[in-house]
Amino acid sequence: MFEGLRVSAFLAGKALQRGNKGTLVLTVMIIALVFVNLVFLPSIVAGVVVLFNQQSVNYNYGNLIVEPRENEQAITDAGVLTRRIERIPGVLAVSPRLTAGGTVTFQGTSLARSVIGIVPSEERRVTLTATRMIEGEYLSDGDTGATVIGKTIAGNEDPRLDTQDSLGGVRVGDSITVTYTNGVVRRYLVKGIFQTDSFSTDASVFVTRSELEQVTGRSDWASQLLVRTRTDGDEEAFRLRLYSYGVQETVKTWQEKSRGIIGDVTNSFAIINLISTVVSLVIAVVVIFIVVFINTVNRRRQIGILKAIGIEPRLIVHSYVLQVLVICAVGAVAGLLLLSGVVQYLTLYPLRFPGGPVLPVVELLQVVQSVASLFVVSAIAGYVPAWKVAGEEILEAIRG
Amino acid sequence: MITAEGLTRIYHMGAVDVRALGGVSFAIERGEFVGIMGSSGSGKSTLLHILGLLDQPTAGRLEVDGVNVLGLSDRERTRFRLERLGYVFQDYALISELTALENIYLSSLVRGASRDEYLRTAREILDEVGLGDRADHQQYELSGGEQQRVAIARALVNRPAIVFADEPCANLDSATSKTILDLFARLNRELGQTIVMVSHEDWHRRYFCRVINLKDGLVEGTEEQACVSHGDVPGGTKS
Ligand SMILES: Nc1ncnc2c1ncn2[C@@H]1O[C@H](COP(=O)(O)OP(=O)(O)O)[C@@H](O)[C@H]1O
Ligand SMILES: [Mg+2]
Repeated sequence: MFEGLRVSAFLAGKALQRGNKGTLVLTVMIIALVFVNLVFLPSIVAGVVVLFNQQSVNYNYGNLIVEPRENEQAITDAGVLTRRIERIPGVLAVSPRLTAGGTVTFQGTSLARSVIGIVPSEERRVTLTATRMIEGEYLSDGDTGATVIGKTIAGNEDPRLDTQDSLGGVRVGDSITVTYTNGVVRRYLVKGIFQTDSFSTDASVFVTRSELEQVTGRSDWASQLLVRTRTDGDEEAFRLRLYSYGVQETVKTWQEKSRGIIGDVTNSFAIINLISTVVSLVIAVVVIFIVVFINTVNRRRQIGILKAIGIEPRLIVHSYVLQVLVICAVGAVAGLLLLSGVVQYLTLYPLRFPGGPVLPVVELLQVVQSVASLFVVSAIAGYVPAWKVAGEEILEAIRG
Repeated sequence: MITAEGLTRIYHMGAVDVRALGGVSFAIERGEFVGIMGSSGSGKSTLLHILGLLDQPTAGRLEVDGVNVLGLSDRERTRFRLERLGYVFQDYALISELTALENIYLSSLVRGASRDEYLRTAREILDEVGLGDRADHQQYELSGGEQQRVAIARALVNRPAIVFADEPCANLDSATSKTILDLFARLNRELGQTIVMVSHEDWHRRYFCRVINLKDGLVEGTEEQACVSHGDVPGGTKS
């Protein structure tokens, strides 16, 4: 076995050393590009997922979401529950939110929306929306008759600039009217406009919770409590901790809340990715096959001579497979260098996606998988033509 | 060393059968320098291919170095060629990517020799064929005669029981041919190397101590004779 490897390695080494350098460099380059292609798209998908996850936590949900008990409309003792959860170790802040359905109207344009009532001082400690004001300022605890809204719903006077339904260009200082489903009608001064790049948040309307309590006539109610924990990524453990501290309401993690949307996104990307992977690997297979095929056909005679002097065909085939593996290894290293260049560039000048800037995230597993699949398909693509030629009758081969 | 009985080789060319060998029998002893002679198309190469285990006869029996070689598997035949036979082709058949030295020691490396061992043996043999200073040259840097001497050195490296040579001088001018034939004669005389060589050049005849004459795939006759390597005939370069 190892005796054989010594012979194959010797033949492969000499062929690489003294063979056609142009073909060699070209093949290595193609493998490098295939490798980049295998890793690059998944790294962008991973970047999108990371961005989306950050937005989910930072603008939509915090880490955990406490919702009403089963069969109940609301959390009816929000104050007590908020204080209780705040005291649980590892919890940073809790923001009670009360929502009410209604129709938002501005200069004749109406949109159905849930209006979210928040305690601004608490909300600031859970989400980062207050830091993303592009106009005016955020709500204060005592505000009534005031609202902050997202850039998407505020919209533009020119509807062609809007990506979704909007009120057609609301500015700070304008007034909007909300007709709640219970019949109450309120006029709010727009105090600020924010842009978080999170789709759902930028389409939202915020007022203070005390304002909504007046509208609904319910005090101390909340539709949900958003919980921020000291560490990210431990949501499952924190959920159990909340239960163990006697919370009887339903506790969800942000992952559960956003699973549907991010699932759709990743599934769509997975299909694109699969197609791209298959195309890349097919290119690698075809290139390696052609290179080895031409190589072995050109050396039919030489292969015949090697067999005539007593070298087993198996060892000759292995020498070609070894050459391919060396080409792959060098190609993967070159590809890795190329990729790190691309990643560095895209970190300095990120791709602008609708959800915000996306940084490529190269995962080690992806790299290992790509290298492994490249090696496997290339080895097979090299083996087949070498095996065909090495299996020929000696005299046929030598005759040429 | 070689016992052949009724060796027959028929090529099937579509509907036509070409009988290249029509039942050839002979024996060759250890240490002999035998010439297989005959006109073009008489079946010399076909016979040598079979003796050298590069081809299989359609019928017949063949014993080489005490082994019934027709009963061997593909793998055993390959091993047998490596360890016990040397083959010299008309057109040298060197591996173009390898240097002279590498061409020579390849068979030794395949056999499992250590680096020191195969380098030493290959250098010795390269000196023996008079190309000590050409060790690192590749094929394209060597003349035809030099290439053929490298090919002979390659055939010798594993100290084979028999060396076969199929018209090794056919592509060389007569002066160069003579040095090659002298080399074979010297190997036969000094090392007792058994050599079976194919030729159709009449002036080669005096190098062979025995000649098997082939005609139309049949042995026409065998003659023992005085030869250069036994010092019976002048003309060889004495070493
Ligand atoms: N591969 C082959 N297919 C068909 N016929 C062949 C083949 N090889 C040799 N022959 C025929 O066999 C006969 C003997 O050929 P060969 O042994 O090459 O003769 P020599 O070496 O004496 O010139 C010739 O008639 C030749 O045409
Ligand atoms: Mg011939």
